[in-house]
Amino acid sequence: MQLSDNELIIKTQNGEVLAFEELIYRYDKMVLRIALKYIGDSDDAKDIYQEVFIRVYKNIGSFQFKSEFSTWLFRIATNVCISFKRKHRKSNQFSLDDENNSEYVSLLPGSNESLPDSITENKEFENKVGEALSNLSPNQRMSFLLKHYEGYKIREIAEMMSCKEGTIKKYLFEAVRKLRVQLAGAD
Amino acid sequence: MEHTKFKDQIQFYLYNELSMKDKNMFENHISTCKECEQELIEYKKLFEEFNKDNKQTIDPQFLNEVRSELRGYLRAQRNKSTNSNYFLNSLSRVLFRPIGFALGGIILLVLGGFISYLIFNPLTGKIDNNLQYPEKLKIQNINFIDSDPSDGEVEFTFETVQSDRMKGNVNDTELQKILTYAVLNEQNPGTRLNSINVINANQTQKPDDEIKSTLITVAKFDNNPGVRIEALKSLNKLPADEEIKNTLIYVLLNDTSAGIRIEAINGLVDASKTGISLNQKDLTSLREKIQRDDNNYVRFQVKNIMKEY
Repeated sequence: MQLSDNELIIKTQNGEVLAFEELIYRYDKMVLRIALKYIGDSDDAKDIYQEVFIRVYKNIGSFQFKSEFSTWLFRIATNVCISFKRKHRKSNQFSLDDENNSEYVSLLPGSNESLPDSITENKEFENKVGEALSNLSPNQRMSFLLKHYEGYKIREIAEMMSCKEGTIKKYLFEAVRKLRVQLAGAD
Repeated sequence: MEHTKFKDQIQFYLYNELSMKDKNMFENHISTCKECEQELIEYKKLFEEFNKDNKQTIDPQFLNEVRSELRGYLRAQRNKSTNSNYFLNSLSRVLFRPIGFALGGIILLVLGGFISYLIFNPLTGKIDNNLQYPEKLKIQNINFIDSDPSDGEVEFTFETVQSDRMKGNVNDTELQKILTYAVLNEQNPGTRLNSINVINANQTQKPDDEIKSTLITVAKFDNNPGVRIEALKSLNKLPADEEIKNTLIYVLLNDTSAGIRIEAINGLVDASKTGISLNQKDLTSLREKIQRDDNNYVRFQVKNIMKEY
């Protein structure tokens, strides 16, 4: 029978590293996917992934079960992503269209040439969204990713990003408005 | 005014994030307002496109790579701070505070009493008669839950480890799996080194990705320089690829041991001979390396590689 998150956390707090690994493997794909989408660079996404789980590892001893583990984890992931972006604002540009990066997030194995038209079109749209996302503020971008790609409720996103629901609504509203304008302009 | 309000609610209606009352009012408005209805259709289309964009999966090789690096870090952390260190540190923190002297005396008295009890009490060591422990099992990491013997009972947890033996061909996948685990998780650096050497002996076939990524993790993060250099040597024997090149650059930029950096730069020289090229990011890092590295040979070889670009 699969152990619950809380059971795994208790085991981790008692020093069982394998329990910690099992726990993070439940969520690490989501963290990596968000980092890749958010930053758009595979090396940076890897750094973010490491930083998130190192912070989780260092702080899980003081986890008090007041919230869901996933909420706590994504709060950390959100903070790491946003502060990373702020630190690297000058040098980084979103570049999922860069072949070095897009290879890590793929729809299907194989190259673009072998994909059917509909998938190639998706890939183009994905690149356009990637570019448009890079023009959003860090908070707008994170709210958008958590809502549209991870399907969280506004209340949950507010908890993860430590702000009010109204603030998240504003971020989402602005994010979608900007994306809509930019995607229309890109056609 | 009302119209603008409903227009602004379209997105949240599609999220299903409106209250029941707002939702009903919104639906009533939409049924009478062509402009908002049209806007709703466009938002729906846009969100459907976002949903298609969301059907991405992470490249398994990339996921494996990041997980291996994290495992390496976790193992390094585990080696740094073992439970016993933690216990000793905690104990010393308590005992060396002025107020702790009295407490320390009491603890020592209780421990002394408990040890005497264990030595002189005929029931000592009687665990649970129903449990049988074969000779193969080792008992370790005993942690007391109740160490007070005054009521005649104590309680503790412990781990049982079963020793086993394996003999087989170095190419055997099960055997390789155990060795890979040992390289990553074994506390003893000698055992890790031996495991790498045995993995390395497997020259007859191309090692699988798990072994390669284990070697990469160890070359980057093992806290023992002897183990790191062996892992690097093993990597240098594999056909060079981007992943290995990135590892060599990482080691070259970050390892504190000159010997290991020399092994890395030699590997990089060999890799470039086989057609592995450096990108702009690599070149920038290497350019900085020429300025900083205190080893002449490393600087010389880095310069040589850079000349080709």
